[in-house]
Amino acid sequence: MTVVRDYALPLILAIGLHAGVVGLLMQNWQDRIDADEEAMPRLIVARVVELDQPEARPAPPKVELPPPQPEVAPPKPPAKPAAKPVPEPDREAERREREQRELERRLKELQEQSTQLALDEELRDLQEGSTQEATMSYVAAIYSAIAAQWSRPPSARNDMEARFGVELLPSGDLLSLTLLESSGNAAFDRAAEAAVRKVRRFEVPSGQLFEKNFRRFSLKFKPEDLLR
Amino acid sequence: MTEPMSILELVRNASFLVQAVMVILVLASVASWVMIFQRWFELNRVQREIDDFEEAFWSGIDLANLKAELDERPEDQTGIESLFAAGFGEYRRLAGQGTADPDAVMQFVQRAMRVALTHEEERLGRHLPFLATVGSTSPYVGLFGTVWGIMNAFRNVATMTQATLAAVAPGISEALVATAMGLFAAIPAVIGYNRFSARVDGLMKRYEAYADELTSILHRDAVTQ
Repeated sequence: MTVVRDYALPLILAIGLHAGVVGLLMQNWQDRIDADEEAMPRLIVARVVELDQPEARPAPPKVELPPPQPEVAPPKPPAKPAAKPVPEPDREAERREREQRELERRLKELQEQSTQLALDEELRDLQEGSTQEATMSYVAAIYSAIAAQWSRPPSARNDMEARFGVELLPSGDLLSLTLLESSGNAAFDRAAEAAVRKVRRFEVPSGQLFEKNFRRFSLKFKPEDLLR
Repeated sequence: MTEPMSILELVRNASFLVQAVMVILVLASVASWVMIFQRWFELNRVQREIDDFEEAFWSGIDLANLKAELDERPEDQTGIESLFAAGFGEYRRLAGQGTADPDAVMQFVQRAMRVALTHEEERLGRHLPFLATVGSTSPYVGLFGTVWGIMNAFRNVATMTQATLAAVAPGISEALVATAMGLFAAIPAVIGYNRFSARVDGLMKRYEAYADELTSILHRDAVTQ
């Protein structure tokens, strides 16, 4: 009893303290990452596609839900006891049977359809994953190409930030380069611009991936590092 | 990876060993905080008890009355009260038997009080070794989890064609959570250990001073009789 009396309050306090810390930590963690993550907007674009599917998905189960069999099954027993008037119940039963077969067929069709849908979704997920990976590797290649050409001017300070809008041709050649946001330091802006122009030809994917992510994008230059 | 990773997700995605390390550390942290709170309350209570008792003791009350008062509630005679009860009880028993030599009587009294003192020291210092253990080992346990997690992260990178930072970063990040947890468990335990062992020392000093005072009072009483 004394053990309970001595340790109940400390135990409650300790657990409360840990729960508080975990809660606080999660809040802070989320906020901080949000601020930094702003640097990685293009990868999110790939995710938008996913939003269409949740809408498409609920539809099949809804149709599937009213299982037709129970409705058909109960009327059946009454048909049998009334077996004396021979011709009519026969036709009736036949009609019911046909109906049931029809319903079963439809059910099977729906099931096939829904598995097909699930398969499609899975396939798309897979493709999306690989697309993302490919995008990342191209992005990494572009960064390293620019970083290799970039020489930071001595007047660069840590909190400077310049943003450029880049347009590329499908061949990877630079079409246009515009300063979107100056860092406030002309030398820094010039150095960043020169770095991009020196690369001249970027390695880019072909087809849809190019259209989606690489035809036009923005580059963010920070003296600490090259960030998008 | 497009969405900000929550710390919960990091923990969930960690490998089994790293998760086990994290669980151990969380348990160690909770246990050490339980000990910290428990010691905190206990030591405060002991301090109050000493203050109250000394006030009663020096108020000029007859020691026999004080002893009788304590004997009414023998089950929660703790701390300084048990010290007094041991010393004074032993003295009265010997004096009642008519032992003449005051020095011999005092030796018995002192021995009885020393036993009570040892018991009290043991009671005050309970759980402190646990805090010391958590404080000194949990950083290493956390470090072990981190090293293991980073090892795995790099091993996975070795099989990739494109080694980007994004491929290693989650693994390292989740591994570092283990170190953070180790430190989180260790720091309060170390502070608690230092603080409480200093307080236990202080309380023991007060006990010893009180024991000496009681001895001298009883000795004077024995000689004058």
